Amino acid sequence: MKLSTQETKDLHKYTKFFALKSAQVIIQSRLGEKISTPCKPDNQGTDWFNLNINDLPEVLAQTKKALNGEIISAGFPLCVEISLRTPEGDQMVLESWCLNLLSDQCDPTMRNIPNVYNRMGMLLKSLMSVTRITPAYKLSRRQGPDSYIICYRIYMESPSLLNLGEGYKSTKIGQICTPIGTLQFSVAYRTKMTISPTQTGKNNSMMVKSDHFNSNSNTRRHRNNDDVSDLTKPMRPGPFADPKPKKPIEPELPGVTRLLAMGKYKQRSMSKPITDIESSDSMKITDESIINKKESTPSRVLMTSSTTSRISTISNLKSVDEEYWMKELSAPFATRGPMGELMQFYKQCKKSPPLQSPQKNPTPEEITKMIEMYESQLPEYDALVQSFCESPDNN
Amino acid sequence: MNARSQMFDLTVEGRQADEAVASIFHTVLFHRTHGKFLYSTEGSYSIGTVGYTDVDCDFIDLTYVCCSSPHLDQVLKREISSFSEQLRGNDSSGMGQITLEFFQRKPRTRWLFQSECIPWEVWTVRVDLLTFANEGERQAYREKVGELLADKIFSIAEIMNRHDYLPKMPSQSELDLIFDTSYPDVQPYLFKVNYSISGPSSGSSVGSTMKKLIKETLSL
Repeated sequence: MKLSTQETKDLHKYTKFFALKSAQVIIQSRLGEKISTPCKPDNQGTDWFNLNINDLPEVLAQTKKALNGEIISAGFPLCVEISLRTPEGDQMVLESWCLNLLSDQCDPTMRNIPNVYNRMGMLLKSLMSVTRITPAYKLSRRQGPDSYIICYRIYMESPSLLNLGEGYKSTKIGQICTPIGTLQFSVAYRTKMTISPTQTGKNNSMMVKSDHFNSNSNTRRHRNNDDVSDLTKPMRPGPFADPKPKKPIEPELPGVTRLLAMGKYKQRSMSKPITDIESSDSMKITDESIINKKESTPSRVLMTSSTTSRISTISNLKSVDEEYWMKELSAPFATRGPMGELMQFYKQCKKSPPLQSPQKNPTPEEITKMIEMYESQLPEYDALVQSFCESPDNN
Repeated sequence: MNARSQMFDLTVEGRQADEAVASIFHTVLFHRTHGKFLYSTEGSYSIGTVGYTDVDCDFIDLTYVCCSSPHLDQVLKREISSFSEQLRGNDSSGMGQITLEFFQRKPRTRWLFQSECIPWEVWTVRVDLLTFANEGERQAYREKVGELLADKIFSIAEIMNRHDYLPKMPSQSELDLIFDTSYPDVQPYLFKVNYSISGPSSGSSVGSTMKKLIKETLSL
């Protein structure tokens, strides 16, 4: 029994939107805040899967980009990777959510496409429930620029579970039988949240081997990237060792220190800016994003400068307005993109206005003339200064 | 047809009982709730949208998801708190069970006072209360219960996505036989909550069940 063209079209459409909504559910659950969307009883079935799942435009764009117009096929699962990143740029993958299609397990008798649609709605509900109970949920609720932030990455390939460290757990959330195969959602998550240096080394060496030619993999590149940022920073603590040793680098960040001293800083208030230095590989910039509190006051400024690094500064502009600071890494041979120009412009606006200077270079004769003129006016200046000093208002 | 039955055992502190049961029942109900059906012509209908809400527990290290329906929450909360009150009461031995039962009504008896209800899925939570000597133990257990419930929620998700029996989508005239249409914002499958407490004397248990039965009959 073959599916009609319309049925195939519908099935592909449902699968696509299921993938898009799944990514939204997962990533929104890691924003660090409670979510509540209202019921809309009078809605005429216009919401996908009859569920009120908001669409964050950035997540939508990233998922579409990862899908690249394809539908999920066997061997190319859609993967949403959630990772934790410290202000120093250290990263730890927390979990991989994976939507796979098992083409060998298909049920050609299951021709009821509306039923597949209903099942997808059910699986999305399960996904919502399950995203709240993996360890990364609690971590994401406690995230803050001072301690760590949660990032995501969406890609189409089998996840490398070695990133998740020893003792990771893998669970199947659910599956849907369709005529083209069984759609299966699973999650693998880290259980050990601290990594000793030896473990890191071991994992790293394995990752280099398995992902050596893999352009999408981030681990190896991150190691390289760390080296780059090492050059630009003073000594840093080891990865995930203890948040306290961060302190020694804080004098480098004048805004931060001042904020702390002023007592503006509060737990989870996002009032402290951090820089987040990433690799500038074009894939990387678009594929990996910072989960940030978009709905609330903190805003994010992303800039691709004329360098090979992306700098993103997260701050609460309301409270940090004056202490706003940013850091630019410069690299040779890098071209300046439009974002770079924008950043330059932004920086100029932030700085105090430059001094007025002559538009053209004066000739030596003109300079001599000017000197003579000023010298001749010297008594006037002296008198002026004298008058200031003698003024009774002077204090 | 026999109803599917799922059983969860929980050992919690008295003040955790409400939230522990609510997290399980709300997760189940979230899966068993549709948007409101809007019929245009017979056989054709559109479905409203279900919103969702994160709920942080006060006494358990857990966040769960439920339907954004204050009415549904109210109904469930009322049932759970009367169970919890009795469970924690002086007459109680600290053990009891509460069930969330999904049922459908038989069409041919619908004109009778109480139509025949056929359960098709029953979720039972057996609760055993325990007490702690100090705050340290209590804090540790707060996390522990969170982990236990997380496991339960994983299994609920797994069970929900099996291709098991669900009542067929009814026609407009038979909607009330499958769904509870009394809620303004959502449309859950018909469900009821029952509970029993195993007290030191069986009398109180029977009494409470009888009281509940009478209450239910009157409310119909």
